[in-house]
Amino acid sequence: MTPQADLGIFAISVAAGLIGALAGVGGGILVIPALTFGFGVDIHLAVGASIVSIIATSSGAAAAYVRDRMTDMRVGMFLELATTTGAVCGALLAAVVAPVFLFVLLGVVLLGSAAMQVARMGEETPPADPPSALARRLRLESSYPDRHLGREVPYSARRIPLGFVLMWIAGVVSGLLGIGSGVLKVLAMDGVMRLPMKVSSATSNFMIGVTAAASAGIYLARGDVDPQIAAPVALGVLAGALAGSRLLHHVSNRTVRLVFLPVLVAVGLETIGRGLGFGL
Amino acid sequence: MTPERFRAVVSAVLVIGVGISAALIGIGFVAALAIGWQGSLAGTAPATAATTDFSNLPARLAALEPAAIVQLGLLALLATPVARVAASVVGFTLEHDRLYTAITLAVLLILLTSIFVLR
Repeated sequence: MTPQADLGIFAISVAAGLIGALAGVGGGILVIPALTFGFGVDIHLAVGASIVSIIATSSGAAAAYVRDRMTDMRVGMFLELATTTGAVCGALLAAVVAPVFLFVLLGVVLLGSAAMQVARMGEETPPADPPSALARRLRLESSYPDRHLGREVPYSARRIPLGFVLMWIAGVVSGLLGIGSGVLKVLAMDGVMRLPMKVSSATSNFMIGVTAAASAGIYLARGDVDPQIAAPVALGVLAGALAGSRLLHHVSNRTVRLVFLPVLVAVGLETIGRGLGFGL
Repeated sequence: MTPERFRAVVSAVLVIGVGISAALIGIGFVAALAIGWQGSLAGTAPATAATTDFSNLPARLAALEPAAIVQLGLLALLATPVARVAASVVGFTLEHDRLYTAITLAVLLILLTSIFVLR
């Protein structure tokens, strides 16, 4: 890599970390095309770098989110049970299932969810209904400090069994297809379990590092993680994620949704494109 | 352990993991810009292995190869989420929350299995 290319990769990665920290995603959707199309990096090395980028976004942003009670650790750990088992199943299934159909199906689901996100754009916080018996039992009810609204916002998880199943599917999909794990997590927490958008984003951020770490060993062993590319990506993403995690406090839930929506649409289109054989 | 203290500990684990990895990746990257990816700060024979090769790391670290320093930093970065889950197991245990101790322990075991067994 030339110094100009290093600088370019670093700059793109700062943006990926910033957007990823705000939207609760890993930034692979930005990092992979930028590396392959922008800098001629081999696709395998680009995917390896994106795994590094996901873990850097997650750990960089989660340090602040956990401390400041933006991440719901119980929701995160409970759902990680679903995503990690799902990811293992997905990795095992990858050998038997032809993913073409799955790519298209997932893409359609993501674009459909984008329409739902638009419909929900006016809502700042989900309606505060009393917690269900299951939410109380699993202690999936809490509150977070919202500096934008200037108050503590209480919430409780709804439709927990459905959310858990969707998270398991999110794990299977990311194990099988290697993409979309962040957007699916945000969609399940925000759309199904009706957690506030910022909590969904911060908790997704907390979780994606674990999902990515589970498969990182495979990429390392395959020789897909190249320090020449991963170093500027990791440093840039960390810087961006640290900045993004400062920013989340001060923006509204609506703004977070506005950042999340284009990421969702991009991942949806990219997924369909891959299923139909063009794209990356 | 109070919930505040628990959060502080998990947050500290993440800060330490990110700090160590950023320092190592940064030092290795700057060194590589200065002497090249195949160089050695210890002045020994230049590295012959590809930068994607993570094997033989201790010897290459002893030779202060920039690529090896970045690789150690990347390994520290990849280990950070695992350390975070392990810290959560301890935290939930100290909170006497049996349900979440069990859940977190299960996640840790699945995670370690997928890292070390499924490849």
